[in-house]
Amino acid sequence: MTNPSRRDFFNRISDGVHGAALASLFGARALGSTHDTPTLLAKKPHFEAKAKAVIHLFQNGGPSQVDLFDPKPGLQKYAGQIPILDLKTDVSSPISMGGLLPSPFKFAKYGQCGMELAEVLPHLAGHVDEIAFIRSMFGEHFNHEPALFLMHSGRTVPSRPSMGSWVSYGLGTENQNLPAYIVLDDPKGLPINGISNWQSAWLPPLYQGTRVRTEGPPVLNLTPHPEWPTPLAEAQRALLRRIDDAHRRERPNQPDLDARISSYELAARMQVAASDVLDVSKESEAVRDAYGLNDPQTASYGKRCLMARRMVERGVRFVQLYIEGQIWDNHENLDTALRYACGKTDKPVAALLTDLKQRGLLDSTLVIWGGEFGRLPLAQSTNGRDHGPSGFTTWMAGGGVKPGTVYGATDEFGHKAVENRVSVHDFHATVLHLLGLEFRDLVYERHGLKERLTDQFPARVVKEILA
Amino acid sequence: MTAMFALLLLFSAVTAPPAFETDVLPIFAAKCVACHGEKNPQGGLDLRSPDAVRKGGIHGPAVAPGASAKSLLVDKLTTRAMPPGPQKLADTEIARIRDWIDRTLKAPEQVTEHDVLPIIQIRCVACHGKRKQEGGLDLRTVASRLKGGKSGPAVILGKPEESLLIKRIVSGEMPPAKLQLEYSVRPPTEGEVARLRTWIAQGAQEGAPRETAAVDGEDRLVTDKDRRFWAFQRPKRPAVPSVKTADRVRNPIDAFLLEKLEAKGLAFASEAEKAKLMRRAYLDLTGLPPTPAQRDEFLNDSSPDAYERLVDRLLESPRYGERWGQHWLDLAGYSDSEGFGQDDGVRRYAWRYRDYVIRALNSDKPYSEFVREQIAGDELTDYTKLGAMTQESLDRLAATGFLRTTPDPTNAPERGFIAERMNIIADEVEVLTSSVMGLTVGCARCHNHKYDPIPQRDYYRLTAILQSAYDPYDWLPPKKREFAAALPSEMAAYEATNKPLDAEIGKLEKSLADLSASYREEYQRDVKAEIFEDPAKIPLDKLFAKFPKLKQRGEPVQKELDALKRKLAPKPHVRVLMDNEGEPSAFYLLRRGDALNPGERVAPGVPAVLSASIEPYRVIAPWEGSRSSGRRLALARWLTQPNHPLTARVAMNQMWMRHFGRGIVASPSNFGRAGSAPSHPELLDWLAVEFVARGWSQKAMHRLMMTSSAYRQASSLNTLPTADPENILLARMPLRRLDAEALYDAALSATGRLDATMFGPPADIEVKADKEVVVKARRDGYRRAIYVLHRRQTPVTMFEVFDQPPMTPNCVERRLSNVATQALQMTNGTMIWDQSRYLAGRLIDEFEQDRGEQVKQAYLRILSRAPTGAEVHAGIESLDQFMRLWREKLVSENSDAPVLAAARWQSLASLCHTLLNSAEFAFID
Repeated sequence: MTNPSRRDFFNRISDGVHGAALASLFGARALGSTHDTPTLLAKKPHFEAKAKAVIHLFQNGGPSQVDLFDPKPGLQKYAGQIPILDLKTDVSSPISMGGLLPSPFKFAKYGQCGMELAEVLPHLAGHVDEIAFIRSMFGEHFNHEPALFLMHSGRTVPSRPSMGSWVSYGLGTENQNLPAYIVLDDPKGLPINGISNWQSAWLPPLYQGTRVRTEGPPVLNLTPHPEWPTPLAEAQRALLRRIDDAHRRERPNQPDLDARISSYELAARMQVAASDVLDVSKESEAVRDAYGLNDPQTASYGKRCLMARRMVERGVRFVQLYIEGQIWDNHENLDTALRYACGKTDKPVAALLTDLKQRGLLDSTLVIWGGEFGRLPLAQSTNGRDHGPSGFTTWMAGGGVKPGTVYGATDEFGHKAVENRVSVHDFHATVLHLLGLEFRDLVYERHGLKERLTDQFPARVVKEILA
Repeated sequence: MTAMFALLLLFSAVTAPPAFETDVLPIFAAKCVACHGEKNPQGGLDLRSPDAVRKGGIHGPAVAPGASAKSLLVDKLTTRAMPPGPQKLADTEIARIRDWIDRTLKAPEQVTEHDVLPIIQIRCVACHGKRKQEGGLDLRTVASRLKGGKSGPAVILGKPEESLLIKRIVSGEMPPAKLQLEYSVRPPTEGEVARLRTWIAQGAQEGAPRETAAVDGEDRLVTDKDRRFWAFQRPKRPAVPSVKTADRVRNPIDAFLLEKLEAKGLAFASEAEKAKLMRRAYLDLTGLPPTPAQRDEFLNDSSPDAYERLVDRLLESPRYGERWGQHWLDLAGYSDSEGFGQDDGVRRYAWRYRDYVIRALNSDKPYSEFVREQIAGDELTDYTKLGAMTQESLDRLAATGFLRTTPDPTNAPERGFIAERMNIIADEVEVLTSSVMGLTVGCARCHNHKYDPIPQRDYYRLTAILQSAYDPYDWLPPKKREFAAALPSEMAAYEATNKPLDAEIGKLEKSLADLSASYREEYQRDVKAEIFEDPAKIPLDKLFAKFPKLKQRGEPVQKELDALKRKLAPKPHVRVLMDNEGEPSAFYLLRRGDALNPGERVAPGVPAVLSASIEPYRVIAPWEGSRSSGRRLALARWLTQPNHPLTARVAMNQMWMRHFGRGIVASPSNFGRAGSAPSHPELLDWLAVEFVARGWSQKAMHRLMMTSSAYRQASSLNTLPTADPENILLARMPLRRLDAEALYDAALSATGRLDATMFGPPADIEVKADKEVVVKARRDGYRRAIYVLHRRQTPVTMFEVFDQPPMTPNCVERRLSNVATQALQMTNGTMIWDQSRYLAGRLIDEFEQDRGEQVKQAYLRILSRAPTGAEVHAGIESLDQFMRLWREKLVSENSDAPVLAAARWQSLASLCHTLLNSAEFAFID
């Protein structure tokens, strides 16, 4: 490659294949080198790993483990009772507390692994042998806000970078024409904690999640002013290029100036790339149907799942999906509320797994499903459940995860994780590991300290769920 | 191996329990006490006696008597985490230690007052303590517990099961279920109840307070060697070096810099062109580019001290306080919102603190006083005796807003539990230490600092200084901290707004009461499901539901009433930090930072490592009979001693970083061992000493730095010196991008849209349909970014894209990126396009059809320089091209505008828009 023009250079770097190699040519230094100018160029992981991208299907509200993934006969046996006092320790609204509440759903075993699932997850049932279920997750807080902060950023306070920001910081991204970390929020509204869920906090702001809307203009200010004559943007870009090039010629050896000038060219290309990635009409009817786009119940989440696949296919590093408000926060009417939530998501999620697998992307894409906590086995009022942070289920698939795994266990009532407990820090360490990042070494210097996603908390990679 | 353990256990069951001296100590002596012995025991753990083992170290007890499986010591040994070297313990040795723990150590531990008081403070005192004594019961002292309340003594010595304290907890009556949420209290855990039982069974001993040794005494955690680290020694004025290129030395700053440069065979770059230097100085000190008139004034001044006088003019400009105020607000973590939850509530009077900062900087308030007021403004004058508020007295109270900046969710009781409270305090400690002290102490919240001699004890001492105002066991949520105070003019305006409204409201309320009176009695007679003793208390909606006739007449009145109430102005207040009333609660070190795991008791104090050669921290009541403890005032005075090792150095380093792009200590919030070593230690000390000698005048120091030869250097070199690739030695000025606020302000100023109104409530923002957050348009233009409402959840998109920090909790140094979203914002966002059109309109008004002059003026206003002939030519060519495009568009749309005039305006706007998008506009040479 002899002295390529800048334009050539970025065209190549953007195709993803040469990205990593060129990034090192461009001088991207070792991971965790805090004082480097922030960049999104692809970086090498600490070690070879299968997962190149993450799709985080975040289930805000707190899906009920004992009604979906973790059946407990004890709830039937002691229905309406509180056989041990410890069951009360997580109760946050003592007035409306009742006794143990049996699940309204039937469970059955599926696949070779024999994972038990509730009847409301019929589509997922076909994929249990691709999934590793962790039944022994536990958090630290029984309120949504702190629990969401913990799950996203490792602490219960709103002051730390989210997992997606850490991953973008650690690995950059393969496609320079699209954001590295994309958030697909529900058009019906932001989750609790709003944009803080994908904030970069004290990591440089370019690592924060970019909200891409699934309705209306997808990225803010992506297209020129509507009142402009169509060719004006290009004419103006040409003039700007002349002005900036002259400016730069007089100021040699200023990398920030180079970065600034190329950022304008990247922006122009992002217009094209972003419109393309979001255009699900380019998919076949069969695919659209599989994701449930033709059914009003599944269309919204299905579209986001399909967009997520198009994104990772094009080299986006981290895609995070949210679902309307508090869909899993079933304080009452557990039966109908869970049927509603599963009805919206089960089919699209299963279609995503199928689709990724068919395209050979599942091996390189880590799919994560889970909320900020689970729910208590006790009744709240008569037919609901309150938040339960002490034991809940999360699952992962693809990207180096050991398929058909059921790991960990809660106590006989599904209340506390008791066997092979997995903390949120362990979960974070494992996600980073699957991406080839050693959680102890993915550091950012702040106040002279080496900060990590897991902070100073003890954490371990859950090796048992790795392929 | 398991089998062997089992065998050993079986064996041990029939033998006598092992003794410490003969069976255990020899193992420890051989393999452990080198580190966990007499001298400086690691982690505070001493393994030489059973008591010491039981007591444990900073992570709590090393053993759980009778339960080896739950013992930290065993955990460390079996996982082979300890000992750290290759010489691990043999399985047989571990088994013997476990046996000793399980059988020999079973004896019950002594539980004292200090083991139970923390439980009571967290679980009970909200209703049985300082503020309230429900049922006549106060649980704070041993005596008051024995005395008890209406139902009798809470504690009966030696009889836990008969003590009401235990009975009520066990039965689940206390803490009452229906009050737990309201008071953010949860019931005690099983372990805590067991501890309370043991304590009562053992006779409810007071026990000696396990307060840590005074700082003056011998300190095994911080040594004299620790204190000798440069940053913990007071700064001394170094001799100014003599250098070869003495002609470049304008003041000592240059000499210190040149000394290092010359040692590497380097020198300063040539002086920057006058116009470039001017733009640099303007943007640096005021955050705004020079106007064409200001430009002429400077460039036409050929006197030798023209530049020095420019710096003086800029320092006198009120724009200076707005620019440097933003830097300080970064350090403080200023935001106008609470930062938590969906609502992200607005802090209505946070702006008083922002205004205080701007005023303080503009008046060049000595930095020492600036710091004192922010830490303890409420303890400097007796505000209870103030008559009418003056701006000065109000400012002193508003200054304490410095330690009220961090996110605080506790207005909602479900987010007000002990852990959240401790997090808020920890955030405030972080703001304080990272901004003013240049120390990173957060790690010591959970354990002794690994790199710096800051033990956990010292962290909690520092925390205890704030505890008289932020008492975790006597918590005040933000809404209870609003201090009613305002300037007489503000009060008058408030009353002028509300008085007529109040009168109107009164009338409507009366008529509503009259209307409903008879119905109320009827309701009370008829409805038995819910008894209201006072008919006036029956809610209107219940009446409306029952009596349609009343609803028909009453509802419109009620709606009118609600509308009026919404118009009421909120009562003016100040967002202050003040001590709670009464004695602060007992305060304990928290093991592993866990609020539910208190350790030894601590008193307010400062890090012991800073005690060398300066006046100690001493708490004195601020004035006779003050309700304030004086803890913060003592900190403020201690910090602002002229020879304090950190205060002046840290401030000068911050100032240097903002002028020269990089701190002399590159980690501005960490001057400790883990921070960066200073690149120019003598220069830093010289600046610190000089700063204090000049009465802590920030403006004097700006003047010194900016009039140095170093600052006047050019920023671009044709060949970079290989000896200093990162430009740490400053052989040129760094080229820098404008930060978010400067870019926004500069665009407004250049296009004539800047509304220079200072102070007061912030300019409002709005969320557009496409979710972009923008500043609300106003006829008079737009106020500077520092006056724009800063909400953590809805940051103004343009600011966010250009790296304005979200304040988590504060920001000591911004990192600026250059990414594509910025280009999208600048080219396609409405803000820059709207201002471009405004400027184009004014240029056409002023210069009619002289396109050459229009191009020239656009360059002058936006880039602060005249265009070259070629640039004018190219500009006119582009105008032609843009004209064509706009005309075609207008014609094809059959626009009703005068096509030629509209196209002329739009094309000039397009040119201005291009210049605002140029790298030249966004960067400072």
